[in-house]
Amino acid sequence: MNAPAGLDLASISERVQSEVQRAIQRSIKGVEYFSTSGPSLGSTPKDILAARGTMNLYHYRPMADEIYRVPILIVMATTNRGYILDMVPGQSFIEFLLKRGYDVYMLDWSAPKPEEKSLRMEDYVLDFIPDCVRRVQQDSGEQDVTVIGYCFGGVLSLLYGSIFHDGPMKNLICFTTPIDFREMKLFQNFSDRRYFDVDRLVDSVGNVPPEMILSSFEMLRPASRTVSQVQLWENIWNDEFVKSYRMFDRWATDTLPLAGEYFRDITKNLMWDNKLFNGNMSVGGRAADISRIKVPILHAVAEHDHIVPYDAAKHLIAKVGSTDKEEVILKGGHVSLVAGANAIKRLWPRLDSWLGKRST
Amino acid sequence: MADKGNDPAVIWQTMIGEMEKGFNSFANQAMASPEFSKMMNQVGGVSAGAQKQLGELMEKYLLAMNLPSRAQLVGMAERLQAIEGQLNEIKALLHQVHHNSLAPESGYGTPRPPRTKRPPAEGEQK
Repeated sequence: MNAPAGLDLASISERVQSEVQRAIQRSIKGVEYFSTSGPSLGSTPKDILAARGTMNLYHYRPMADEIYRVPILIVMATTNRGYILDMVPGQSFIEFLLKRGYDVYMLDWSAPKPEEKSLRMEDYVLDFIPDCVRRVQQDSGEQDVTVIGYCFGGVLSLLYGSIFHDGPMKNLICFTTPIDFREMKLFQNFSDRRYFDVDRLVDSVGNVPPEMILSSFEMLRPASRTVSQVQLWENIWNDEFVKSYRMFDRWATDTLPLAGEYFRDITKNLMWDNKLFNGNMSVGGRAADISRIKVPILHAVAEHDHIVPYDAAKHLIAKVGSTDKEEVILKGGHVSLVAGANAIKRLWPRLDSWLGKRST
Repeated sequence: MADKGNDPAVIWQTMIGEMEKGFNSFANQAMASPEFSKMMNQVGGVSAGAQKQLGELMEKYLLAMNLPSRAQLVGMAERLQAIEGQLNEIKALLHQVHHNSLAPESGYGTPRPPRTKRPPAEGEQK
């Protein structure tokens, strides 16, 4: 009997053979998976310049013989750890910057302790960031500083830049930074003021637990975790796939709690009243209108970002007061924009060519 | 090779991908309703309150049993991590001092690279 058109019996036999081999590999690698701990992340050599409560300031050791004059301060999102930007050698944004001749500092966060539940937005914007900027100036001996903010780190950087608009920030780069919180539709619905009693939550739990933050992120794509586990099993024979899965999975589940008062501020001022977008935001009694920002600014957004949809981020460039401003929309999602294979090809070189000429 | 349309592995992966998209999109629609928000926040509010009460109760129980609570263990782990970090710093400094003592003419402290870098000219390879 002839095989149906389009089917080649030899290739079917090869395919069956390869599937059997993979099934065997899956069993071996599956055991390996559970008995090993995965790659070590965030290992680019660095010095801790300051550690104060939830705030940590790192300085990465330069890797080039000659560096740009203006140092970079990266402000990480308060919900996640900074090692997303420093995964493993060859896949580290930090390492990329160092090799391209930048002097890199990072403001990273550790979990706020129960006694830090009273930290407010002003502690982040008027204390932690300015303190780190001062330390960067002192350590580098330079007055100018480029600030890079990722996700909510971008919001904090915008607030900082709009209050301290006379300097010392020289350039601002935001990655996937929301400013129109009405457009974060699901988060809006989760925090609907008719049903979500933020005061009751914060008063009863103190700091908002990381499990709650993680579930709210996962609810945006409820099937994805299960599907990614199915994909892991299918590809467990593939060491590169497993390494990448472990890195991103570890980071994604390593969510930080949020200081209670800070969460209350975010919910009321940004989620409910959309003050950053409306131009009536204030922090610690100081007006934070982003139209006051006049420094060169680059905003990188992802085409398929399910956490910060483009509609929530698109008005940033129009609203800042800078004349030298640019938005780049790149393929990818909220995380793949900044880390992983796509970021290496797309965002990092783009950022380097934009920032290099503004760092002398 | 068999064409991709007939490959069962490709068919399976496509099906999984489509199911994921379909389920996410269906769930997103359902979660966008005010009824969902109301239900979620009612459940969340009750569970947050219960969680807090349970936590306090457990804390008292562990105290009575002279056992550390999870928060205390987490605090201890963080302090250990901080100590480890400081030890690493001391180790790095010792290495640096050792390195400098082998080459005293270079003086103390590793000199930083000069801040003289210029961006490459357009089209130039980096």
